[in-house]
Amino acid sequence: MSLCESIDTLAMAYLDDELAAEERHELEAHMTECAACRAQLDGERHEHMMLRNALVAPPAPDMLRAKIGIALDGEDRAARRRWTGYLLPGSAMLAAAAAIAMFVGVKPAGEHEVGTVSREAVRQQMRQLPLERGPETGNWLHANFQLDPQPNDNLLGTRLLPHGVNGHDGALLAYQMDLEGRRFVATVLAVRDIRDEEMQDGDEVKIGERTLHVMQQDGQTAVSYVDSRRHIGFLYMAPDIAPNELVWLAGSGLLPPR
Amino acid sequence: MLASRGKRTEFERQALAHLDALYGAAYRLTRNARDAEDLVQDSLLRAYRFWDSFQQDSNCKAWLLRIVTNTFINEYQRKKRSREVLDAASAEQDATDGVLVQASAFDKQSPAQAMLANSVSDDVQRALDSLPDDFRTAVILCDMQGLSYKEIAEIMECPVGTVMSRLFRGRKLLAAALRDFAVSEGYVKNAGEDPTKKTIDLEKYRATRKAREGSQ
Repeated sequence: MSLCESIDTLAMAYLDDELAAEERHELEAHMTECAACRAQLDGERHEHMMLRNALVAPPAPDMLRAKIGIALDGEDRAARRRWTGYLLPGSAMLAAAAAIAMFVGVKPAGEHEVGTVSREAVRQQMRQLPLERGPETGNWLHANFQLDPQPNDNLLGTRLLPHGVNGHDGALLAYQMDLEGRRFVATVLAVRDIRDEEMQDGDEVKIGERTLHVMQQDGQTAVSYVDSRRHIGFLYMAPDIAPNELVWLAGSGLLPPR
Repeated sequence: MLASRGKRTEFERQALAHLDALYGAAYRLTRNARDAEDLVQDSLLRAYRFWDSFQQDSNCKAWLLRIVTNTFINEYQRKKRSREVLDAASAEQDATDGVLVQASAFDKQSPAQAMLANSVSDDVQRALDSLPDDFRTAVILCDMQGLSYKEIAEIMECPVGTVMSRLFRGRKLLAAALRDFAVSEGYVKNAGEDPTKKTIDLEKYRATRKAREGSQ
């Protein structure tokens, strides 16, 4: 079998750097004499590079990096945690369950006229902005929202939006949660200097001491809560859980942790 | 406690250094950013659990890619099985019959599937969709990840010769599909020699070469 007869095999192995040194030298010597094989190798090389360039994929998203860190933390702790069990005191859970029953009983949330702050907040939340983590972030959150993220908050990361929500300072906080073994990401957008009525769109629901509003926008459910004392509005979203579960989460006071 | 902290540090240093590569492979295997994230996270968690069994002197990236590939085959493929157009058994045979068969496979997609595929993917993803799983995996492991034939053979649990033939045919099909998408004229069967019919056999070449040297 001559080199010319095996050129398909040899060209491929040559370009993949799989030939032994002797075989490589032999092929290279042959290339100087045989124009047909040389043309074939050039063609294969061109195709090779075209495929390699085409296959280049995007880098891993920041959110994935953060999620994996948290998953490994969970693995390190070995004990599987369920936020339903370890974060809510028993009586609060009962109250939340009762409120959900009420909410479910009222009516399904439909499309509503959504106010501009809420609408902008939902839009910001759906932008999938890269997350930041660092000392400056913590300082800014503390100064503007009196929020102090702790290492065990399950916080994936934050994104600061100075003047980002209709002129209001905002901060997006993403948390990894675990609901009976289902992992999901919940995002909370905190908006500063909010009057009660600015983020009260959609159906009103009362859970414990909190008055929440449930709205639909762009096929997503969002729940808002305004802390009247501090004039901070919170908008909760978690596309991977059911709307009633999201309402429960928003009403529980778990996020953002105080 | 100290031991476990050391394990975490080592894992982050050696394994998480390959996160972009693993995500890239998962992205091309699943053809979907969301599934790729799930696949990478599951695989790394699995790798972390079995970190003690990783031999420190071997290729960490190849070891991790093996976990990603196996996890993909075992779990993510099963989910997709129902919308797989080609029967797994006949896929390899069909693919060797040339590009035209792959084109008709596309037509068998429902409009909803086609729309979904278009909305979440680029031409490369669609071209990859037209490859049988084994061909696609071989191309991803070699041309994206730079693994050797031997490393790919270990991951795919097949002989090196099979890797070479899957790789050769996979590349020809992918290149043809990409060219066709580029001119967006649909598929035209090549009137010339079908490249996927060519024989790729390095062992046979080496055997003849050895015989040739022996007779000289």
